[in-house]
Amino acid sequence: MHVRPRLRHLAVLGLAGLVLAAVGVTAAQSKPFTSGHSTASTILDGTTDTVTNVDPAGNYDYGSGTVDILIYQHLLDLNAGSTVPAPSLATGCTHNATVTVWTCALKQGVKFSNGDPFTSDDVKWSFDRVNKIHDPSGIWGLISNLKSVTTNGPYSVSFHLGTAQSTWPYILATGAGEIVDHKVYPADKILANTDVTNLVGTGPYTLSKFTPGQSAVFTPNPNYNGANGKVANGGLIITYYSKSSTMKLALQKGEIDMAFRDFTPTEYTALGKASGIKVYKGKGVGIRYLVLNVKRAPTNNLAVRKAIAYLMPRQDIASRVYHGQVVPLYSMPPAGLPGHLNAFGEVYGMAPSVAKAKAVLAAAHVKTPVPLTLWWTPSHYGDASADEFSEMQRAFNASKLFKVTLKSAEWATYSKTLGTQYGAFQLGWFPDYPDAEDYITPFYGTKSNFTSNGYSNAKMDAVIKKEEAAKTPAARIAAIKQAQMIAAQDAPIIPYWQNTMLVVGRSNIQNLPKTIDLDYLMRFWLLSKS
Amino acid sequence: MSQTGPSLKRYAITRLALVVPMVFILLTLVFLLMRVAPGNPVSASLGGHAPPAVIKAISHQLGYDKPIYEQYGHYLGQIVRGNFGTTISDRRSVGSIILVNGAATLELTFFAMIIAIVVGMLVGLVSGRFRDSPIDAGGRLFGIVVYATPVFFLGLLAQLVFGIWLGWLPTSDQASPVTQALMQTHTNIYFVDAIIDGNWTALKDVVEHLVLPATTLGIVYGGVFIRLIRVNVIRTLKEDYIEAARARGINERAVVYHHAFRNALVPVITVVGLQLALLLGGAILTETTFNWPGLGHELYVYLQNRDYAAVQGIVVVFALVVVAASIVIDFANAFIDPRVRY
Repeated sequence: MHVRPRLRHLAVLGLAGLVLAAVGVTAAQSKPFTSGHSTASTILDGTTDTVTNVDPAGNYDYGSGTVDILIYQHLLDLNAGSTVPAPSLATGCTHNATVTVWTCALKQGVKFSNGDPFTSDDVKWSFDRVNKIHDPSGIWGLISNLKSVTTNGPYSVSFHLGTAQSTWPYILATGAGEIVDHKVYPADKILANTDVTNLVGTGPYTLSKFTPGQSAVFTPNPNYNGANGKVANGGLIITYYSKSSTMKLALQKGEIDMAFRDFTPTEYTALGKASGIKVYKGKGVGIRYLVLNVKRAPTNNLAVRKAIAYLMPRQDIASRVYHGQVVPLYSMPPAGLPGHLNAFGEVYGMAPSVAKAKAVLAAAHVKTPVPLTLWWTPSHYGDASADEFSEMQRAFNASKLFKVTLKSAEWATYSKTLGTQYGAFQLGWFPDYPDAEDYITPFYGTKSNFTSNGYSNAKMDAVIKKEEAAKTPAARIAAIKQAQMIAAQDAPIIPYWQNTMLVVGRSNIQNLPKTIDLDYLMRFWLLSKS
Repeated sequence: MSQTGPSLKRYAITRLALVVPMVFILLTLVFLLMRVAPGNPVSASLGGHAPPAVIKAISHQLGYDKPIYEQYGHYLGQIVRGNFGTTISDRRSVGSIILVNGAATLELTFFAMIIAIVVGMLVGLVSGRFRDSPIDAGGRLFGIVVYATPVFFLGLLAQLVFGIWLGWLPTSDQASPVTQALMQTHTNIYFVDAIIDGNWTALKDVVEHLVLPATTLGIVYGGVFIRLIRVNVIRTLKEDYIEAARARGINERAVVYHHAFRNALVPVITVVGLQLALLLGGAILTETTFNWPGLGHELYVYLQNRDYAAVQGIVVVFALVVVAASIVIDFANAFIDPRVRY
C-alpha cells in the first residue's frame, strides 16, 4: 500500500482545487470606498430591509426607497419635520384650474454626482422611463394617472394628468418621481444594482459599492445642492441582515452604530435596557387593520361587523403584545396626518364595549356566539402577529358573542388569497406618501380597493372623487373626514394600531431625533458620529 | 494496476453518464415543487398593496399564467443554454448569485470541513487509542452531543458566549462593514482576496469573522468523524500487522500514529464526500444564524419571496456539488487504494 504519498497528492490536489475555484469565481463589480478615506465619521447602520433595485424605475419597497433617498432627489421632497412636499429640485409647482396639469419651475445650476447638469430633459426622461419600463415591482402604478410630460425650456416641466389629482405634489415626492440623469440611464431598462458608476443622482450621497444582500456603501456627493439639509457625516455603510436577532447582537457588540428597522417588540424592549444604546421613538405611519369581507358570512352582516368594531381590544394589543411600541388607531389615516379623525372612536367608543356589541347583535337578531374565522400570516408582519391574533381571539371569545377560530397561511399563499377566500383577515399598510388620501382610496374605492373584500358604496366613491379634484386643502380635508365617517359606519375594515418610528442607536450617533417624523424617512445625512 | 485501469475507466464513464438523468430528474422535481407551492413571486411581492388586476397583469407579463408545461419547456431550454435566468425579486442574474454567494459558501464549508476533520481526527484517535477509559467516554460523549446539537442552537450559543459575554469575536457577517467597503473583491472568497491584496488587516478581520461560523458548522459535523475514526482506530489496532509491529518491538506511539491511524483514515475519505451534502444543508442554517452571505442564506431569502429562478438555480447547484463530490470521492478512493475494484 502506497497510502502516504497518495494522501499527500490528494491533499495537494485539494488545495489546488480551492485556489482554482477561487480564481475561477468572477469578481463582482466594486469600487473601493476611496483610498485613504477616513472611516471614523462613517455611520454603520444595520437593517433587515432588503433592496430589490436601486434604480428608481425598478423598485416599490421600503428598503430600496431608503437607499434611493440617499442618492436621488425629487422635484419636491419631504423634509425633516414636515409632511408637506417642499421645493427640492423644483422651485415650486402650480396646477391649472381643473387640477389636471401641474407645472414645475426647476432649480438652475444643479449637477448630478457625475458632473452632468440637471435640466428639464432629466425630469421628462425619469418619468417617461418609469412608464416605459413598466417594471414588475409595480412602481409605475403611482403615476398611472400621468398622460405625458412636456418640457417648457430647460428649467420648466408640465405634467399632464388623465384626471384631476390634488395630491400630485405628493406623487412627485415618491419613488416614482426620483430624478435620474438622462445621459446615463437607459430609457427602456433598469440599471443593475452593482453598476455603481452609472447609478448617479443629485442626492446627498453617491453609491460607492453595492453587494446584493450584504452591504451598501455611500460617500458624500460633492455636487449635492444641500436642498434637503447638509451632510453631517463622512459616509454611510448599510449592512443587511436576514434576522433581527443577528442584527441585535451586532449592535450590542458595536459592530454597527445603529439599526433602522426592524426588531421584534421584545428585542426593542431589551435594547432599550442595554447600556450605551438608546431606542428613539416617534410617531409612525404604518398601520395594521382587520379586513372584513362584506360578501361572505358572517361578516356580510353589518351588525356582525359593528360588533367586531365594538370589541376590538386595541389597547391590550398595543400594551401586551407590542409593549407600547404601537398605539391604538381609530381610523385608517393615522393620527398626526392632516384630516385624521378618530372615526371609530366616535362611532364605537374609545374602549371595547361588550354591552354595545351585544345590543347591536340582538337588534339584528343574530344568534350568538357567532362563529368567526380570523386569518393572519406569520411570515410578513412580524413574529408578534401570532400574539396579536391570540389577544383578539381572547377578547372576542371572552365576550361570549363570538367563537373565534384562528387560521394562518404563509405570506405567498395569503397575499394571493385575501378576500377571494378569507372572511376576516389581517393586513398592514405603509403609505406611498404621508397623506390621508393614501389610506382611503386603496381601501374604499369600488375600483381601487385591493383587498377583494367586496366593499362598494356609491356615496364613498363620490366623496373620494370630490377629494381627488379638490382645489383647496380645506376642501380636501373635509372630504377626507367625510370618508372616514362613512368607513366607520360601514366597517368593512377595522383599523387597530399605528406604529411608531423606532430607531436604535449607540451613544456615538447624534441627531437621530431630527429624522424621526411622520414621513418615516431615514435621512442618514443629518446624522453625525462622534 | 494494469487490471484496475480499464475497470476504473468504465466505472468513471458509467458514473458520469448517470449524472445526466440524475440532474434532469432533479431539475424537474425542483421546478414542480416550486409550482405546486401556492403563490408566486408577484403576489408575494405585491400582494397586500396592489390591486388584483395589477398583480394579474404583471404575472401575465412574466409568463406565470402560462400552462405549466410551457413554463417547464422554457425553463429547460434556458438551462440547456447555461442560463439560470434572472431573479424576480431583485433582478440579479442567478449565475452571479451562484458565483458570488457560492464563493462565500465555499469559504465557509472549506474551513468547516477542515475543522470537522481536525476535531474528528484528534478526538477519534485519542478515544480509540484509550478505548473504554474515561478519556474515551469523554470523547464519545462529546461526539454524540455535538452531532445531536442543532447547528443554529450551537451558533446562537457561540455568538452569545464568544461574541457578547467574552467579546472576543464578531457575531455575524463575512467581514466588518468597513473591511467590506474598503476591500477589493477578486474572487469573493474574502480569505483569498485579502491574501491577493496583501491586506493583512483585512485578513485578520476576515479570519476573526470566519472563526465562529466555521467552528460551529465544523464541530457539529466533526461528531461524525469522531465516531468513525474511533471505530476504525480500534479495528486497525487489532489487525495482524499491528501485532507484528508490536512484536518487532516498535514503540507503541509509533504503532498507533504511524501504522494504525494512517490506515484508519482511508474510510474517512468516503465519508467526507457523503458529509458534504449534510454540510451544505447545515450551511443554510449556519449562514442564516451568522448572516453569512452564502448560497444557503440567499436560498432562505429567495424561498420567502417564492423567487422561482433563484431557488431552482441554488438547489440545482447544491445538488450538482454533492453529485460531483461523490464522484470525486469515488475516484479518490480508487486512487488511494488500488485494491478497490468496480
